Amino acid sequence: MLQFQQSSGFCKRPRACGCRIEGSLLENRAEGAFVDAKPSLHYNTSEKSGVGRVALKIWESGLQVESTASQTAAVRSDIRQQMRAAPNWFRGRQGRRIREMLLAYSFLAPAYIIIGLFGLFPLAFAAYESTLRGLNKIVGTYDGLGNYVKAIDNLIYILAFWLAAGLVYFAVHTIARAVQDQREHQTESMRWLVPGLLTAIGTALFTRFVYILLPEMLLIPSKLRGRANTQEAFRGLVVETWWLPKMQIALWVAVVILAGGGIWALLVNRQMPTDRRERIYFMPFFSAGISLIGGAALAWLTWTEINSAYAEALEEGVGLELWSQIVTISAGFLLLLVAWRLWESARDRSSNTGMAMRLLGAVVLMVGAWVLIAELPRVVSAGDEDWWNGLMATVFYVLGTVPIQLGLALILAALLFQKIRGQTFFRVLYFLPYVAPFVGTAAVFRIIFSNRPTAPLNSMLDWFGAEPLLWLSEPAGIIQMITGGKFDLGPILSGPSLALVAIMLYGIWTYVGFDTVIFLAGLGAIPSELYEVADIDGAGGWAQFRHVTLPLLSPTIYFLSLYAVIGTFKAFNHIFVLRQAAALGTTDTASIVIFQAFKRDTRYGYASALAILLLIIIMVITLINNRIASRRVFYG
Amino acid sequence: MVEAVVGGTTVTTRQADPATRRAALNRAVIYSVLIIGAAAAILPFLYTVSVSLMNLTEATGGRALPATPQWSNYTEAWRDAQFSLYFMNSVKITLISVGGAVVFCALAAYAFAQMEFPGKGFLFTLMLSTLMLPEAITWVPNFITVSWLGRISPVPWLNNWPSLTIPFMASAFGIFLLRQFFQQIPRELWDSAQIDGSGHLRYLITVVLPLSSAAVMTLVLFGFVGAWNALAWPILVTTTPDWRPISYGLLSFLDEAGALLHLQMAGAIITMLPIVILYFFTQRHFIEGIATTGLKG
Repeated sequence: MLQFQQSSGFCKRPRACGCRIEGSLLENRAEGAFVDAKPSLHYNTSEKSGVGRVALKIWESGLQVESTASQTAAVRSDIRQQMRAAPNWFRGRQGRRIREMLLAYSFLAPAYIIIGLFGLFPLAFAAYESTLRGLNKIVGTYDGLGNYVKAIDNLIYILAFWLAAGLVYFAVHTIARAVQDQREHQTESMRWLVPGLLTAIGTALFTRFVYILLPEMLLIPSKLRGRANTQEAFRGLVVETWWLPKMQIALWVAVVILAGGGIWALLVNRQMPTDRRERIYFMPFFSAGISLIGGAALAWLTWTEINSAYAEALEEGVGLELWSQIVTISAGFLLLLVAWRLWESARDRSSNTGMAMRLLGAVVLMVGAWVLIAELPRVVSAGDEDWWNGLMATVFYVLGTVPIQLGLALILAALLFQKIRGQTFFRVLYFLPYVAPFVGTAAVFRIIFSNRPTAPLNSMLDWFGAEPLLWLSEPAGIIQMITGGKFDLGPILSGPSLALVAIMLYGIWTYVGFDTVIFLAGLGAIPSELYEVADIDGAGGWAQFRHVTLPLLSPTIYFLSLYAVIGTFKAFNHIFVLRQAAALGTTDTASIVIFQAFKRDTRYGYASALAILLLIIIMVITLINNRIASRRVFYG
Repeated sequence: MVEAVVGGTTVTTRQADPATRRAALNRAVIYSVLIIGAAAAILPFLYTVSVSLMNLTEATGGRALPATPQWSNYTEAWRDAQFSLYFMNSVKITLISVGGAVVFCALAAYAFAQMEFPGKGFLFTLMLSTLMLPEAITWVPNFITVSWLGRISPVPWLNNWPSLTIPFMASAFGIFLLRQFFQQIPRELWDSAQIDGSGHLRYLITVVLPLSSAAVMTLVLFGFVGAWNALAWPILVTTTPDWRPISYGLLSFLDEAGALLHLQMAGAIITMLPIVILYFFTQRHFIEGIATTGLKG
């Protein structure tokens, strides 16, 4: 994830390439490899537009990896020229290239089979499973978006609608950009249109094949019921299912189209003029094609689902305000977006009145948006309470741990970075909580935060003359507790429960050392000349920290905060160990809720739907973070 | 430590120069903050050791130190929690999964670092994108996949080693880590190996792997920690203790031991000790590995 992030978000300028893996801090070693990244291989990122930009960068990173990791383009073109000059030798060379290619694929095969089966396929599988009324291993009946409706009620329609719109926008944007590029720079980008789209169609057809195969394969156990339930019978049915004509047709159509796209792409690549080093436009078109197809499929699914929801409501004789809800809430978010844009543009205004007008307009729009979004809570309350509480607990957790954790780590790292005796000693100690097995340390904190009056923290409170607290077993919110429970503050205002706060303290304790180590590495990458110059200019310690260290460390800060936020959404182990029944589920974050839906309630389809929602949340956070980072983060 | 250092500086600068005095004060503040931080990091561990050596009344009575260390707590916890079983399980799981991970990740990383083939950038991005998936999304599908595979393979997968090891034999993290190291190996080496008649596989085994033993070491360490920490997935795929790893063993022991705090803490120490010892001996690899990739296994 991290490298993925870094290489996508950080390569703003070719010269800044060294920063790409700043968080990973290997640049000292890897620099050699990045030096030969040709500026021409960088996509033109001078204009900022739309969500697409971030994702575009993600492909870019892929392309960069290719260009940097491989031989330099110069060597490649050299080889090409030699190949033209000597046709006999060319054949031997070509043969060797094909052999190397096949060998490389066979090297990759085992790892990709495992990653594909247990890392990538689950995404498609979860998406499929989430549309079923799956309870237990028995394949349930098709339920459309039913599971999602259970989780977040009608909000899913809005979400799906906007997701589809976003995908289509992204595809159109990418293609438009390639066309524009061709017009402006006389590139040959359009040559890649057909192979890119063909491969995308092939991939989509392959996905369709998977979705045809999957239910049949999952049905095998129930087909065996009543028959001899042996392994041989099972295997026989698997083979039989595989050779069904519809499977084979679906498979071969997909394979042929995929292969056609791939070969076409290779041919285009070979026809490229050798003198012009040009960006390969395959990936943009491929992704555009994929997102077009995905967006269309999603839009169709949403449309049919909305219609069937209306039909159902009509049958039952209840009114449904689905469309009005979609329109109002979407309009609210659009207004918010426009307001934000206006606010941003206000900064660039030179005249005071212009700025004031814009700010005023932004505020008015925001108020309008707020009125429209006020519909949201009603929708939210109709969803699954456990899930919303889980999300709320996760947000509390993020807000309560990430800033504190990063602040403490920054202080410790900055102090450790002074010429200090025993630097290694301190670093080793700070890092210990992160390395020690989570279940072990969580077991310790279970006792430290125990509700017994003689538990460490409670005896400390006693020593200060305070009443013992329930800690991990306390479901009441801390703000509620501080105000003495005089007012009923509602779920959000009463804050995270004391039990969650205890878990947050544990989280901070574990991760400060990790953050410190990363910060230390980031500090080590700042050239010391800058401090010398600052010294000559008479900058004191604080001024140096504020104007040299902080800006140069901002990529690391950005990286760590993203990592911490996403890590919180994924966090499972320690929360699972620390959660107590007495805390009444106030400590259950998103991952725990999913785990319980799966393991305790065996609601397979529903758990999958929740996991997909979690993935969407993580992706949105990443996109927003990348956008902010591209503006605010300073790359030396 | 603070006093010693501060004392040292003040002694050398006896003439009360305000600048040096401020520097000395600075150092005192720096050291005290660092020591407070270190104390916060280490105190819970010391407390655990202390409680693990108490008897029951001391442990529940809120004492700080045991009157006489009860070393028998460890043997008792070891026996009660069946740690010999869980320990062996974890060791076996670690050996299988880390062994597989080193082989498969090294092969893939080598292809990415030193070979040319079409679709390289795409495949690499595809692999890295799996790092973005939350573990939660893989639970249901992988559980179904694993139980399905158990029906067609010669060995059962659930409650057995395949489900606990095979999914972890290749990771984007491992491939990425090794690739970063493999890339630094100069291409001249490959050229001369080629002149000597060596193929890619032989070059990988005889030259590249020995040269990047530090990276392989890091990968092994992270694999070890990962296997020791695994909790959610083992809970899902094991219904009997036969193949349960140690963290699951500790968790069930915590629930069983209930009020026996001293035994709980002895169990926690037993679980943490191998990793902590390993960490102290190889901390440079650990910290460098994390600084390299920003990830833990």
